[in-house]
Amino acid sequence: MKLRPILIAILAFIGMIDALFLSIKRNAGPIPCHVTHGCTDVLTSKYSVVAGIPLSWLGLAFYVTVFSLAIFSVFDDPKNDSELPLRAIFYFSGVGLIISALLVGIQAFILKAFCEYCLLSAALVLSIFLLSPHQVRHTVPQ
Amino acid sequence: MPKAIKPVIVILLAVAVAAGAAVFLSRQPDQPVPSSAAAPLPANIKTGGHFRGPGNAELTLVEFGDYQCPSCAAYHPFVKEILNRYPNQVRLEFHHFPLISIHPNSMAASKAAEAAGEQGHYWEMHDALFEYQRQWADSPDPKPVFAAIANRIGINGTILVQTMDSPALQQRILKDVEQGDQAKIQAVPTFFIKGQQVYLKASIEDFVQVVEANLHK
Repeated sequence: MKLRPILIAILAFIGMIDALFLSIKRNAGPIPCHVTHGCTDVLTSKYSVVAGIPLSWLGLAFYVTVFSLAIFSVFDDPKNDSELPLRAIFYFSGVGLIISALLVGIQAFILKAFCEYCLLSAALVLSIFLLSPHQVRHTVPQ
Repeated sequence: MPKAIKPVIVILLAVAVAAGAAVFLSRQPDQPVPSSAAAPLPANIKTGGHFRGPGNAELTLVEFGDYQCPSCAAYHPFVKEILNRYPNQVRLEFHHFPLISIHPNSMAASKAAEAAGEQGHYWEMHDALFEYQRQWADSPDPKPVFAAIANRIGINGTILVQTMDSPALQQRILKDVEQGDQAKIQAVPTFFIKGQQVYLKASIEDFVQVVEANLHK
């Protein structure tokens, strides 16, 4: 059973909900935190937009892509056992992890406010990254 | 059936389910437990605050705000637009609620607004602080920026900075903060109409809808 791509797909699915939720809530009034402090400040700060595009939209694109890759990996013919989707997830989530680390740093040191939804996203990206390399490492190139 | 169809169907279904879940969650009340929601405004809320609009206005929109809060700046144009659209029916009552733990310049900004008020230009400075928030929000010493902003809008910047140190101004601001604490405010901006908290989206349509719903009530 392809446990890793299934786990990655579940994590990416949670990420999709998180990113969609933030995209909807971003312009819908103050967003009180339940665990942390300063969700609205983080989500409406100048760092929440890159080139006019809200980061939540970019996050959504990331999770949809990772989810799609994971699903293609799950449905891949066992005879083929193509490493391509997982390899793509590995590199893709590696970039995502660097961006997530930067965003957590901005929350901690510049905004001095934390958004729990953003921290959840960072945790999801980290988990996806940690789940993805194992199979890549153990795949012998043809 | 082509092999690629199955994963594509799963992906489309998952995106649709995720969208439904996100919409459902976004429509839930913002506060996790009722006890943490803002309480009705205390009876003594009529003390303090700054009023903008006619004294006999039918509706008073009470705002607890923080000049360094990005979302307060984002809401500010909509508040102004509502006052423009309902010049005889709606007035604004603004209370300081500087979140100094996350906005180190917010107290100084509140003092700058109060100091401008001492020169009879509170609302001009109020607008300018939000409008030029990015110029002073991250400044290690915002006072010169406040002075420059004041000069730009026709207020004596030097006097403004001198007045900012007045303990009376700080007391006025702390009184607002005390009222906000009593009302258990958890986020800024927080709005009240007729003593009850109202949840406003950052859109003029939503502001109009809420105001219309409360007018003639």
